[in-house]
Amino acid sequence: MENTALAKNVRFAYSDSDKFAIDGASLAIGEGEYVALLGANGSGKSTMAKLLDVLEMPNEGDVTVFGIDTKDDDRFWDIRKNTGCVFQNPDNQIVGTTVEEDVAFGPENIGIPNPELSERVENALKYVGLFDKKERQTAKLSGGQKQKLAIAGVLAMQPKFLLLDEATAMLDPVSRDEFLSLVEKLVRENKISVLTITHDMTEASRTDKVYIMEKGKITLEGAPQDVLNNVPEMLDAGLDSPIYSKLLWEIKNATGLDYSLEDAKTIRSALRFLGAHFTDAKIKAPSAKPKFDETLISVKNLSYSYDDKGPKALKNIDLDIKKGELLALVGRSGCGKTTLITHMNGIIRPQGEGKVEFHYGDTVLTTSKKKEIKQIRQKVGLVFQYPEYQLFEETVYRDIAYGPKKMGMKGDELDKAVRDAAKQVGLDDEVLEKSPFELSGGQQRRVALAGVIAMKPEVLVLDEPAAGLDPRGRREMFKTIAGLKKNGTTIVLVTHYMDEAYEHADRICTMKDGMIMGVSDPIKMFEDKDALREMEIRAPYLRRFLEIIAVRLGLDPVSKKNLLRAQSVKEAALLLGGVDA
Amino acid sequence: MLKDISIGRYYRADSILHNLDPRCKAILFILYLIAIFLLRSPVAIGLLVVLTVILQILGKIPPKVMWNSAKPIIPIIILIVVLNVLTLKTGNVIFSWWKITITDGGISSALIMAVRLLMMILVTSIILTLTTTPLKLSEALEKLFGPLKVIKFPVHEMAMMMSIALRFIPTLIDETDKIMKAQVSRGADYDTGTIISRLKGYVTVLVPLFVSSFRRADELATAMDARCYNGGEGRTKLHPLKLTGKDVMLFIILSMGAFLLVAVENIDRITKLF
Repeated sequence: MENTALAKNVRFAYSDSDKFAIDGASLAIGEGEYVALLGANGSGKSTMAKLLDVLEMPNEGDVTVFGIDTKDDDRFWDIRKNTGCVFQNPDNQIVGTTVEEDVAFGPENIGIPNPELSERVENALKYVGLFDKKERQTAKLSGGQKQKLAIAGVLAMQPKFLLLDEATAMLDPVSRDEFLSLVEKLVRENKISVLTITHDMTEASRTDKVYIMEKGKITLEGAPQDVLNNVPEMLDAGLDSPIYSKLLWEIKNATGLDYSLEDAKTIRSALRFLGAHFTDAKIKAPSAKPKFDETLISVKNLSYSYDDKGPKALKNIDLDIKKGELLALVGRSGCGKTTLITHMNGIIRPQGEGKVEFHYGDTVLTTSKKKEIKQIRQKVGLVFQYPEYQLFEETVYRDIAYGPKKMGMKGDELDKAVRDAAKQVGLDDEVLEKSPFELSGGQQRRVALAGVIAMKPEVLVLDEPAAGLDPRGRREMFKTIAGLKKNGTTIVLVTHYMDEAYEHADRICTMKDGMIMGVSDPIKMFEDKDALREMEIRAPYLRRFLEIIAVRLGLDPVSKKNLLRAQSVKEAALLLGGVDA
Repeated sequence: MLKDISIGRYYRADSILHNLDPRCKAILFILYLIAIFLLRSPVAIGLLVVLTVILQILGKIPPKVMWNSAKPIIPIIILIVVLNVLTLKTGNVIFSWWKITITDGGISSALIMAVRLLMMILVTSIILTLTTTPLKLSEALEKLFGPLKVIKFPVHEMAMMMSIALRFIPTLIDETDKIMKAQVSRGADYDTGTIISRLKGYVTVLVPLFVSSFRRADELATAMDARCYNGGEGRTKLHPLKLTGKDVMLFIILSMGAFLLVAVENIDRITKLF
């Protein structure tokens, strides 16, 4: 097989750094192959993309694309013309004001004349399904549509090689799936070679070959099932593994029962392994989960529309938030989650008869009264999506102190609040005097979170706190959240992911088209299959997998019920292994 | 609140004004601007109002959209009217108290000034921003200023910068809105306090906005590089500007409007000539 792109022992350092971002890495992408380059943030994987698209040159080693050395000044244009890139941020790669103008931008640059140009634009837009929106303003598209537009812009160049640089990181799961199907169609039908740079495991599992990158080096390579199911290596690289291999690994951790990589390769092999060891197992009931009864926030009959004519963003929402619980709000982009949470601290005030009440001891505050909003904001901390974009102060310390200062905290109390908050999110003391803009994205997010925690809110509302983070970052974020909850903070977590909600929440509230479809504790929510179908909710992967296991092991009804009460892979492993938590 | 700003907001419709060659519109815009500057007489202003309505109908622009583009300058117009009424002292005095004297001449010229200003905004938004996409407009400017390339003036680059700036206006407005909400959640207050403390408060919005704009610029440059952007040399166009007979006709008819305005304004002098 011909190689589309080849990197051999490449080393590369950015001009402003003496550290090698790529430190002796080699990889090969065959013609028509679909390859994933996986790595945690800062592993050097995006730098690799830049080397392959001749946006940077290697210091040592060679990069060849279509057989052309990227150092060949006369021919680098041939590489770039035939290589298309889609980057992470949908907004920052659109040049055109309207959809078709943007698709035309690339072919215009390489001087494609009409009528071929308009044919290419038309075909590309039809391919990605945006043809009916060709005259739309690009700024008004959704995130998923913007990434499809980026693909169309690439397709119009008729490339032989497609580079996706974390192209799905900012998409919700449904848009991500649509995007990936589109890419797979390209590989299948147009025989385009694809390298996707990602830290999303489901994305990687759909490719032909994966490379794992860690600190500028390739540490593992091979077929996805061989690499991704190697749990300890994956966790070390800051990544994650599929549920089935993780379950075997957790069982090994809990009971010492060893398994081979062969056992962990597929769902089938994992089930076979479980069947051999746990058939007819008796599974004890897991320890009871705490109950939360005291109402802290009540949302009553809340409806909201952004303009008079448009559809309602919220329709008759009734929801109680209990003191001390973690409530997860789940739903697709545009279902009204963000509108609902911006009501909770009075940034948006209720329209009509709707009400948002905050119960504090015997007093009831409502956002309908302007005077009480300030008090409510003190008690309800709101952290929006990508909060790192709101940092503005000269030092991390001052940024964290901004909120509490505005709330009237002073002197030692303020100092303590800032330092406590920094500690809670896992920031070292030395970071406090740095500029927030020197930090990595993940650390910036922690600073932003600390800025809200320092205000000592009773309720913390988090909108997609782990969005865009790599698996290690996600795990750390949820550890922080668990710590906050343990200290008594009530948490409202907005997420796209049912599995994430299932693992961490005491109750799940699912939303669709501005309405609440159901509120219940996670276990009960997924018991009634017909109700789920009606609400158009899919059960989490974990739960579906556990159901399959229960059948395979032939568990008795009580054991099955007990097993299905596991909310995390680890919990399931402990239950299966008969080990107390 | 920020979403009301209509600068650069294109109103999509299919009208003869929308389809007119943007170069023609750019020239018409200048002609009308000059003409309106020359107007003084109530008759000419009246004609201007009639022309504005005709243009609005030609552009198929609903009154609500017109109102939205006029709204932001209403306070300025009111300020100008008040200043004029208070300072211009021509004609008969109709009110006088302490140092304030109001004359009928002052009022009428203030009103003419107000209508003229309002029409100026409306005519220019109908001819330019509402019916022309920013990209079309920058293409037109690129073509019109094309000859300046001879003296090494970066015409293409300027046009590209302009179209990118316009493309990012809605994005940055959305971002500003988001940042403000986030800072309000942290106790920021942009509505109360002295002007100085309010201005200071805006630092909390401006700094993040600048930082993110730089990041955006950086990423956009990479993306443009990756899409083979290499300056204006050898570029083709999806919809190249083509001047048709229809464009020329419409241009001549519409420019007559501007000349007519000037003619009506100077009707006395013209009649004297004959």
